[in-house]
Amino acid sequence: MKKRILGLVLSVAMVASLLAGCGSSSEAPAADTAAATTDTAAADTDAAATTDGGSAAGKTYAIVPKSAGNPYNEKEVEGFTKIIEANGGTVVVNYPEDATADAQITVINSLISQGVDSIAVAANDANALSAVLQDAMDAGIKVSTLDSDAVGEARMTFANQAGVTQVAQALCDAVLDISGGEGQWAIVSASSQATNQNAWIDAMKEIMAADAKYANLELVDIQYGDDEPELSTTVTQALLTNYPDLKVICAPTTVGIAAAAKVLQDAGSSCKLTGLGLPSEMAEYIGADDAHSCPYMFLWNPIELGELSAYISMALVDGTITGASGETFEAPELGVTYTITDQDGGATEVILGAPFAFTPENIEEWKVIY
Amino acid sequence: MAGKSGREINATPQNTLKKSILSWEGILVIIFLAVLVLCRILSPNYTLNNVLREMPKYLSEIFLFFPMAYILMLGEIDISVGSIVCLSATAGCLASNAGTPFPLVILIMLLVGGLCGVVNGLIITRFPELPSMIVTLGTQIIFRGIAEIVLGNGGSVSVTDSASFRAISKRVGPFPYMFFLVVICAVVFVIVSVKMKFGRELMAIGSNRRTSLYSGIKVKATIFKAYVIMGVFSGLAALFLTAASYGANTTTGDGFEMDAIAMAVFGGIATTGGKGKMIGGIIAAFIIVCLRIGLGQINMNSQLILLIIGILLIAAVILPNISASFKAAKKKKSQA
Repeated sequence: MKKRILGLVLSVAMVASLLAGCGSSSEAPAADTAAATTDTAAADTDAAATTDGGSAAGKTYAIVPKSAGNPYNEKEVEGFTKIIEANGGTVVVNYPEDATADAQITVINSLISQGVDSIAVAANDANALSAVLQDAMDAGIKVSTLDSDAVGEARMTFANQAGVTQVAQALCDAVLDISGGEGQWAIVSASSQATNQNAWIDAMKEIMAADAKYANLELVDIQYGDDEPELSTTVTQALLTNYPDLKVICAPTTVGIAAAAKVLQDAGSSCKLTGLGLPSEMAEYIGADDAHSCPYMFLWNPIELGELSAYISMALVDGTITGASGETFEAPELGVTYTITDQDGGATEVILGAPFAFTPENIEEWKVIY
Repeated sequence: MAGKSGREINATPQNTLKKSILSWEGILVIIFLAVLVLCRILSPNYTLNNVLREMPKYLSEIFLFFPMAYILMLGEIDISVGSIVCLSATAGCLASNAGTPFPLVILIMLLVGGLCGVVNGLIITRFPELPSMIVTLGTQIIFRGIAEIVLGNGGSVSVTDSASFRAISKRVGPFPYMFFLVVICAVVFVIVSVKMKFGRELMAIGSNRRTSLYSGIKVKATIFKAYVIMGVFSGLAALFLTAASYGANTTTGDGFEMDAIAMAVFGGIATTGGKGKMIGGIIAAFIIVCLRIGLGQINMNSQLILLIIGILLIAAVILPNISASFKAAKKKKSQA
């Protein structure tokens, strides 16, 4: 008998501690994105009371990143939160319990119950979220994606971090700048079937053929490292042997650029490197002097991507845009008026802009981030 | 009360109502009600409609819980079920995309699940010296590995015929179809476990395998059947999961085995076998589901929710031990 009573007391204590746990969590400050707890109902009434809050006042904007504890995702959330809160809106950051589409379905379902005004999601799987995102849109919620897209019919538009033309243009200008305006250059790509790689390479060829300032640059070879460090190293070494006058290697792949950077730096080669790389992997190779192999390189800025996503969410909610091609909206913080463009397959996207340059000046700050 | 022999008989039946409230199952019912009240207070959106709308993913896990409870009662375990769900969902999506009629797709999913269960069951009954934890750890990797190879680049497949899948995720009022199926399964699994020979045999084997063998129970056949049922129900879970996401990917069903085991353990079903009631597990399953939905609605950090479920589980396992040691101490005292 005693043990039953004891059990009952303990279980009541368990429930009580649960209550206490929830209470303290929902009291956490709204700005605390890690706790991801904002009291929607309270915020709604608060914001409605203060009408001078801004264009987003009284609305709740949710963002669902890929997973918790990922610095790249945290930066996106940081940008998103900054813009929404500056405009008086309420942000709900809802991290899935792990980096799977299943876990994202769970949190999106919960957001539908809460009746948020918009959901921006970085999809862990393009297909798996389509049913739940369509449910969300049926419930009147404005759905957009950022960073990683879902299928076209499951969202209204997509905040794309890397427009093909913008990436190609930045890389062409970098090659021109680093080579000093003339000489041989080569590409170390991923696999020969990679769609994004081939799109960038084709766009680079077109840009260079179209403008006379690139006329003295000679693309001598394109090598494929298959995004394997070993093979990328081998093909870079082969390039150096075959083309002793090579001035620049452009590697628009994070694996390729890291492998090539090591080869060039170890060999003390006069050939320099640029491309798309992860700051954390490339920090030791980035520098303006001859001891470093990469003067600067590119990738997108996750904070700005989060900001763009926030502007898209706000514009969708206030009706400025519906996600149709050709519509425009303002993004004051980014200093650009964005236009929604067509994507392959009938869906639309918004391209963030030119990729972000990682230079010897800012690499120390970024290498710890991602 | 003096018996025939003049001995004093102490084991008079206690007040049955009091007894049933203070049983583990009674406590679970109280916790369940407390969870509902708590969530309703915390979240203004915690309505029947919303909770039922968010429930399907968790209901798929409850399909896994039913046979998992049987396997635990046997004193065995199956941690490969999440991978079976993944493989079965993959097979179903590919079959559907190849133009297979929908009823046949359902059959294929159940068959693939059942086949995985046969593999588990065969290995475990043929090599009784191997712990089932290790065997199913191996098949967990193998089944998901096969799905990953089949899915290839991108690791994801979506169904082109999403209309058929969407049809089975429809609802009657606020209740999804699968909710009724869960209720029917719950009734069947409870009846089998308390009234049928199969259920009694499970308990007997879980309590003492050797005695069961000598008393004529076909131990191997019973274990084998339990694993096959587990496989078929994994296929069923896969079917409803696919209906919610219109496809399969390499992470489909990831971690489901642990959720199913958690439901059973919280419900008082011991992993050592021979202990626990189906009904306790079912209440526990709904406690976990309703709590997760409620905490999700107040945007509690997902990791924090997992933490709370973890604490509940540890408490559920420790409680009986504490009360047992109290009882033992009391007995010692009264003897001294």
